[in-house]
This record gives sequence, C-alpha cells and structure tokens, in this order.
Amino acid sequence: MKDIARQQMSIKVESMDMLNAQIQMEGRASASYLAMASWCDQRGYNQSAGFMYKQAAEEREHMMKIFKFVNDCGGNAISPAIESTNHDFSSLEEVFETALSQEIDVTKSINRIVAAAKKNSDFGVENFLQWFITEQLEEEKTMRDILDLFEIMGRDGIALKLIDERISVE
Amino acid sequence: MFPMERINSSHYYTFFQSDKERCFYIDLGQKLVRLSFCQLLALRQKVWSINIEDHFDEDANPHGFEIVSLCNREHLFILNTLEVLDLKELLTGAFFLLDIAAQTPSLTSRA
Ligand SMILES: [Fe+2]
Ligand SMILES: [Fe+2]
Repeated sequence: MKDIARQQMSIKVESMDMLNAQIQMEGRASASYLAMASWCDQRGYNQSAGFMYKQAAEEREHMMKIFKFVNDCGGNAISPAIESTNHDFSSLEEVFETALSQEIDVTKSINRIVAAAKKNSDFGVENFLQWFITEQLEEEKTMRDILDLFEIMGRDGIALKLIDERISVE
Repeated sequence: MFPMERINSSHYYTFFQSDKERCFYIDLGQKLVRLSFCQLLALRQKVWSINIEDHFDEDANPHGFEIVSLCNREHLFILNTLEVLDLKELLTGAFFLLDIAAQTPSLTSRA
C-alpha cells in the first residue's frame, strides 16, 4: 500500500489541529489589540493607540504565518471565526495588563504545541515554532517594560500623559 | 474504482484507499463516497466540529440529527448520534493507520 496520506501531508493531524487553534488565537489577539487601539485613540493616548494598531497588524502576520505553514504542509488551514471582543477597560494600565496576560496565554499555547510536536516526533512543527518562542519572549518583555512605567511614574493624569509619550510605535 | 485496499471498518462504515487513483473511499452504507486527501481532511474537520453534547440537549438539537455535507456539497448525509460517533471512530482509526496521526497505543493492527 502506498503512503498516499503521508505523501500529501508532512505534519501530524494532531499538530494541524493545534496549529489551527493557534491561528484562531492569533486572530483573536489581533482583534483584541484593535479594540485596545480604539480605546486609546478615543482617550487621546496617541502613542499607545499607534502601538496597539501595530500589535494588531503583527498578530495578523503571526496568524498568516501559521496559516500558510499548515497549507504548505498539505494540511487544511481553517479561517478563524472571531467571537465578541472586549472593548471595556477602566484605565490605560488595565489595557497593558490585559495585553500582557494575553501574550502570556499565547506563550503557554505555543509551548504546549511544541511539547506535543516533540512527543509525536513532529520535528518540522517544532522547528517552525522556534521563531514564535523567541517572539513571545520579546512580546512579554515589551509589555512588562511598559507596565513598569506605571510603577515608576505613577497613575495621575500627567503621569499617564508622560507614559503615553514614552511608548514607542517603532 | 477497484482495486482498493480496506484500511479499517467501524460498526457501520468502511474506509478504503485506492493506490491507483491516489484517493480514499468511504462506504457509508447508502453510498460509496470518493474523497481526495483534502476532502478527507475537510470531512474530518466537519465531523470533529459537531457538538455531540447538543444531541443530549432537548433545545439545542431535539431530534439528534446532523446534516453533513461532503466534497464541497456534492453529497449530503443525515446522521444520527450513533452514526456520528461511529464516523468519528472510523476516521480516528483511519488517520492512525494512514500514519499521519500521533502514535497512540489504542490501535495496533490493520485488521
Ligand atoms: Fe502573536
Ligand atoms: Fe503578540
């Protein structure tokens, strides 16, 4: 018997399922950053808004990267449905706290896929995800550094304005 | 369509591979359906996304039926709860035997 299925797809179906779930997660992260951008924009936190727009675009890139990988491996990438996104935040600090916890969730999820890929000897998937592991460390650090600013500069009106001005959109 | 090799059977259904046509067949009882590999992945996705718990919920799915469309809506099947579960089992076994699933100890032979 020929290995027809194996000839068509070079990753395990379980990896494909987890990567499809990750596509969904990156899509949701993108939508969530967009909601944060809106919140910041409406309150005149222009640098923060710019930062969030950029994050939204980056998350979409992550999503596309995985999407393309799944299809390139002969799998079936699923375009994600994004359900309701939270638009309510009580402060600029809460926006960044939400961003950090979202990034931590993504890191955990990537780690779980890498662990499963390793266990299944699906080394192509493991290798593909190395880039994401590095990326997640950077993303977490970026958010943590911003949250530190609130500790250093305080949370009153002027402080928030100064914090916003320090947020880099590059 | 023959010769084709039987990969596995569940209670109601049988899964075949045709080396010559480089495709798969599922005998669904009422019909023999031909599937390319992509179509097979799409079917798996559809079956996996069925919420079987709804079948035990009077409001969500009072009659316990699923309409499954196959091969870009070329075929339509109406499956009851047991048939959905059986199809899931067939596909799980088939993917394992086709060697693109993780090695789980639950299935061992091609018998
Ligand atoms: Fe991401
Ligand atoms: Fe991110």
